Order: sequence, then structure tokens, then C-alpha cells
Amino acid sequence: MKKIIEMSIEEIKEAYAMKTLKVSQVLEAYFDQIKKYDDKIKAFISLREEEAIKEAKILDEHLEKGELSGLLAGIPVAVKDNISTKDLKTTCASKMLEDYQPPYDATIVKKLKAAGAIIIGKTNMDEFAMGSSTENSAMFTTKNPWDYSKVPGGSSGGSAAALAAGFAPLTIGSDTGGSIRQPASFCSVVGLKPSYHRVSRFGLIAFASSLDQIGPFTRTIKDSALALKVLQGKDPLDDTSKESSNIDYFESIDQPIYKMKIGVPKEFLSEGLDSEIKENIVKTMEELRKLGAQVEEFSLPISDAGLSAYYIISSAEASSNLARYDGIRYGYRPEDYKDTDDLMLKARTEGFGKEVKRRIMLGTYTLSSGYYDAYYNKAMKFRSKITDTFKKAFETYDVILSPTSPILPFGIGEKTSDPLEMYLADIYTVNINVAGLPALAMPSGFSKDGLPMGIQLIGDHFDESKLFQVGNHLEKKIKVKDIFPKLEVK
Amino acid sequence: MKVTIETIEYIANLSKLKFDTDEKEAFAKEFESILTHFENIQNEDLEKAKFSLMDNTVGTLRKDEIKTFENRKELFQNAKEIKDGCIVIPRILE
Repeated sequence: MKKIIEMSIEEIKEAYAMKTLKVSQVLEAYFDQIKKYDDKIKAFISLREEEAIKEAKILDEHLEKGELSGLLAGIPVAVKDNISTKDLKTTCASKMLEDYQPPYDATIVKKLKAAGAIIIGKTNMDEFAMGSSTENSAMFTTKNPWDYSKVPGGSSGGSAAALAAGFAPLTIGSDTGGSIRQPASFCSVVGLKPSYHRVSRFGLIAFASSLDQIGPFTRTIKDSALALKVLQGKDPLDDTSKESSNIDYFESIDQPIYKMKIGVPKEFLSEGLDSEIKENIVKTMEELRKLGAQVEEFSLPISDAGLSAYYIISSAEASSNLARYDGIRYGYRPEDYKDTDDLMLKARTEGFGKEVKRRIMLGTYTLSSGYYDAYYNKAMKFRSKITDTFKKAFETYDVILSPTSPILPFGIGEKTSDPLEMYLADIYTVNINVAGLPALAMPSGFSKDGLPMGIQLIGDHFDESKLFQVGNHLEKKIKVKDIFPKLEVK
Repeated sequence: MKVTIETIEYIANLSKLKFDTDEKEAFAKEFESILTHFENIQNEDLEKAKFSLMDNTVGTLRKDEIKTFENRKELFQNAKEIKDGCIVIPRILE
């Protein structure tokens, strides 16, 4: 039998159904793996082993009686530390929320629990989800399980690394400009950013509310579809969420893709793209053709100005969302202060890290009088243009294929000195959030040095079904899902 | 475009953040390179584009019903200092 820590959710569920595995056995296998390797990888900010084992034992009693129910019954799950969990600290990897204990669960946490999943811990991230490497975490930097000298990507780097390292078969992240897809590609796992409106954001600590979405990391495409089925749906506590409970992604997932038209934006293959990633995309295009799909390049001239629009909009929203951290009701409070004004100033200056301050400053600048028209207003107009451009593209194409990142996983410390250089690496992912589209990142091979590469499948609004369908066929062709990193304790 | 130390100080004040001289200088430099990059958006023809609104979202109203909030204690569990059911802050009136 396959090692437990290498199994997909589907395989674990099958083993439960056959009664060849117990829930506590599965939990034990994952916690053993965490104890062995997380000292080095540092994917987790907090763990809840004792409670998780207790929950597993209760589920084992149900399993014994043949009453194990729920789409994720007995499946361990790790959640990014910006998603609220009652009784478990939610820090956003920030000194500001170091000891913050939410009084409630996020809606998606409630949904995971209701589906029978067992929360095993909270994962590391860039502070307030701002960054692409986890190097902005106030706690520590997570290492890439494929090469400890490299970053795992970010901001959901802890969740991606945890999945790749075999710490859980399902982890949850959030994606504002690529924060699920880029780490998924850096760690060779499947990461889904659902359509805006698909998943409730209630309990997700806001970074940029019009761009943020919660999504899963999994080993396989089918697991991703299953996880989305659990996470999605209208939530009365989030008015931007929409009903989608009647969608079954499994109806179409195995259907052939020979009638599909897949477009590849030629602007995404130009200057700045790593040559090995480019080669990999060309190979993926060939594989899709072999599957019978019609694949062609087309022009989508939005990416450069789109990156600017993204950073203007996201920073503007961040500056407003993060105004709530004033050291009064919760969060970091400085030791000495003269008056309330001094308290707020010191709480924010001492509690926030460098990148968070940079985004607050940038957002405040682009919203401030005299600059609003030149930046925020223009960016929001360009946002409409981006949305329309994609809409037009989807009149011709079923799915758009692109690289996830223009660069391979980079070295820890390699890009921290120049913020703009780090921002530019988000070029292929940010426009998708700006337009509110769904996108699926999946592993597509390895570089000569053994570093993971990934591709991104972009769909029209609420058209995740097609992404899963194409991804599922591609996964069988590419055959990288059963390759695991060789972890070292040293 | 030139980002001055005065601009950084003005924005820091609006953001309720404080920086030392070195930090201000570093910010001015970084802002300059980031904002110069942002200028590519000025070259876009946005004459006909309208300001993006989330106009496909319909606001819904819930019934205005009174619900008792049971766990008041949990609501205050993150406050640093509580006195008589209120959060303690520095004196604001003399």
C-alpha cells in the first residue's frame, strides 16, 4: 500500500470505506511526518495535536459502525493563519496579532468541520498575506521542501510547503494576487483560486476585499474539485458570496476535452520568462493538442499595466482595511505611551513589519488628495478594461493557459532588497484577481536543477468545471503528481 | 517623478506610522521606482472605460431581529485591559 502521507484525499477516503485505515492512524502518520521534518521546513505557526487526535478517535467510532459521513470525514487539514479559528490563535504571521484569539470560526472553517475534516494546525505566510515568499512573516521563513535554500513562494507558502512535505492531504490558503497559485507552482502541488463570489470570505482577515479569495491546496485535481465543493456557497455573513451549491464538478471532470479551444496569451510568453518555464509551456501546449484540444496563441495586451492596477488597488484597499489595527480593542499594544494618539502610532509602527507598512504607505499615497485621479481612479478604470478583455477572450476560448510564475523558486534572501523586483514576479497571476476569474495552478514538471514548475489554467467567471476537466486530463498526461520531494532532517 | 522626504512624512502622518530618517530616505527611493513603474497605466486609453464597480452584486437586507449575544466574555478576550466591562484606554479628557 502507498504511504499514508503520499495519499490523495480520494485514496484516504477509499481506505476508510474499505476499512483498511483508521482515522487515528492517518492522523498519527501526518503528525509523525510533521515532528520529523517541520523543525526544518517551518510550515506551521501552530499545531493542535491533542484535540485533533481526540476528534480522530470519535470519528473512528463512527467508522467502526459504518457511519462515517461528510465529504471530508477524517481528512486532516491545515489552514493558513489569516483565516479565523476559534480556540486557535490566528496571527496573520504578524507581531500585531501575535496573541490574537478569534472569538469565532471563519465560515470556511465551519464548513470544513461540518464536512468532517480535522484541523491540525495553522500555517505560515507573508505578514497579512503581503508577499511572494513567506520572507515577510514576522515569525520565520518557510523553506521549500524541494530545496531548503529556496522560498516556497507566498503568501500562502506554509500551506503549499505543508502539502508538498506530506504534512496534510489538504491545506487552505488565500489568494489576493497569486498567493495560492504561485506557491502551488513553487512546491509542485495543485492550488485553486476560485472565482470571486464563490467562497465566503467571512473570517478571512482582510487584505484587499475586492480581490481576496480562499482556496485549497491538494495533491490532485479531483481533490481540488472536492475541496471546492465543501468550501463554496452563499453565506449570509458575506454579501459578496453567491450560491453555487447545485454545481457538481465531477459530472464533467472525466469527459474528453477534444472539443475545447485553449488560448495562450502571447504576451505571457515574451520577455522576462525563464527559458525552462517557456519550454515547459510549449510542451504542455503539445500535450493538450495530443488530448485533442485546439491550442493557439492570441493577444491579451493587459499584463504590464494590469500589474500596476493590481498594486494600486490592493494597496489602497489594504491601507483602508489595516486602519483597524490601532492597539485599542485587540492586537499589539506598546508598553509606554503618552496618549491615545501616541498609543496608536506606536502600536502600528512597532506591530507592523516593513512590507505591510510599505503597502499601507503606497495605498494611502495613491488614495490621497491630488494623486487619487492619477492612480486609484485610473486603476479602477483599467480594471473594467481588464475584465472586458478577458470576457472577450472567453467568447473564443474555453480556457486560457499560462505560466504561473515567470521565474523558478528563488533563493531565500535573493529578492528581499528590491520590492519592485518581487512585485514584477506576480505578472501572470494578479490580473486574474483584478478580473475576479477562477484559476487553477498545477504541477507541470521540473527544471534541470530539480525545481518545480507549474502552469495556470484560467477560466471564465464561475467556470471552474472546465479548469478541473482540462486539469484532470493534463494531470494524467504530465505524470508528476506522484513525485515527492526527498526530505532531509538536517 | 521625484518623491520627497516631505511627501513621505505627510503620507506617514496620514497612515499613523512613524519612520526614522534612514527609513524615510529608503521609502522615498523605493516609492520613486514603484511609482515610475505605475506610470505605464497613464499610457492606456481609458477614455471609454468606466470606473469598475461591483455592480453584479445585489445587496440583501436581513430581518431586523434582536438576537442575544451569549459570549460577551469571548468578545473581549483580546483586549489588553478591561475595567467594569469596558476597554481601558489612556485618558482623552483632562
